Amino acid sequence: MRGHGFLLANYVPGTSLVHRAPLWLKFLLVLGSGLASFLVVDWLVSAMVLAVLCGVFLLTGAGPLRLLGAVRPLALVLLVIGLFQWWQLGAPTAARIVLNILVCVVAASLLTATTPMQRLLDGVASLAAPLRRFGADPERFALTIAIMLRSIPYIAGTFADVRDSARARGLERHPRALVLPVFITTVAFARQTGEALAARGLGEAED
Amino acid sequence: MSVISLSNVGVRVAVDGRPDPKVLLQDITVSLAEQRIGVIGANGSGKSTLLRLMNGLVVPTSGTVTVNGLDTVRKVRPVRQQVGFVFTDPLSQLVMPTGREDVELSLRRSVRKGDERRRLAEAALDRFSLLPLADQSIYELSGGERQLMALAAVLAVNPTVLVLDEPSTLLDLRNRELLRRTLSGLDQQIVMSTHDLDLALEMDRVLVVEAGRIAFDGDAAAAVEHYRSLCATDVAAP
Repeated sequence: MRGHGFLLANYVPGTSLVHRAPLWLKFLLVLGSGLASFLVVDWLVSAMVLAVLCGVFLLTGAGPLRLLGAVRPLALVLLVIGLFQWWQLGAPTAARIVLNILVCVVAASLLTATTPMQRLLDGVASLAAPLRRFGADPERFALTIAIMLRSIPYIAGTFADVRDSARARGLERHPRALVLPVFITTVAFARQTGEALAARGLGEAED
Repeated sequence: MSVISLSNVGVRVAVDGRPDPKVLLQDITVSLAEQRIGVIGANGSGKSTLLRLMNGLVVPTSGTVTVNGLDTVRKVRPVRQQVGFVFTDPLSQLVMPTGREDVELSLRRSVRKGDERRRLAEAALDRFSLLPLADQSIYELSGGERQLMALAAVLAVNPTVLVLDEPSTLLDLRNRELLRRTLSGLDQQIVMSTHDLDLALEMDRVLVVEAGRIAFDGDAAAAVEHYRSLCATDVAAP
């Protein structure tokens, strides 16, 4: 299983300025990057923002390999999006869209690479705390984020494994041989994860 | 010592295309109070279902299961606080990217303060000499290290009972030995299913499960002998 191919960079212990920055500031950075992808219309600006974020990422000591590892799984999707947009709307727009997606991914990776998961979950739980008055359980919000971060690389790893086994049987051109096993494995993984959480009493309603 | 009681327990599940439900367990009445209890039996005999009843992961179709008097259906939350469960495949169990994060996840319900959680997680990992591996990806650990990590995550919340579903099945000989030694040093009451008959022989009491029923219940040596004779009969039958 290649589930370790993490889409967002794993936490890297360190003492950089970004590591020590308050969580709300890092949340704002991710939120701002997301918003900027709608507002920025010049691909040069997007490229500059991306360069700055990559520079900051490297200054944290997380390393270029982790940065590359966070972006690499998206390469094929970005290529397809870029080519389609180039054909439809021209090169500058295609470049802007692809660069803006990369800005979001690198900003999110910066957050996950410099923030321990538990601190991230504490932050999500605190953000969701006001929803308690409507009957929501903030811990469940945090747990959902945690499971999502765990599940994305697992499913990506499953896809890689299934693709290899389809190739080994000469079935790489059969969409059903790829999609169906990934679907079944993903459902099984969801059941296993739910069972593992239940066994530990996690995700249950608070008293 | 905790007491796990099953009274007239049956578990049946509906199966697509079959008019009658499939019987996983039937007529199970047993009270478990020994320190180390083994469960052996063939694949598909009902061992895992029996173990899952003790943590409320499986709900009995008939009868009742209690742990220290707490019904596993009506009082599932306190039951799960008392009964830790270790799965065969630790990758099914470890839901966080690293061991430290997973142990801290276990503690989230009981310990609100992040610093305190971190301290307790480190203590739980240190108990099994896992602290140097705490920040490594769970995918980079060996099978034995992963299983110990899963065990540390379960034990971090101090359950009184530890239920283990074939914990040594995926381990090589060295890691099996490591797990065996670790388990022998625990204070918790242990209920463990296994195909490792040497491990079963170390238990205080062993149940042999066959076709959803308890075929034998007694001391380890006699239970293993009974299981061997069952297997020999099955193999000789055709």
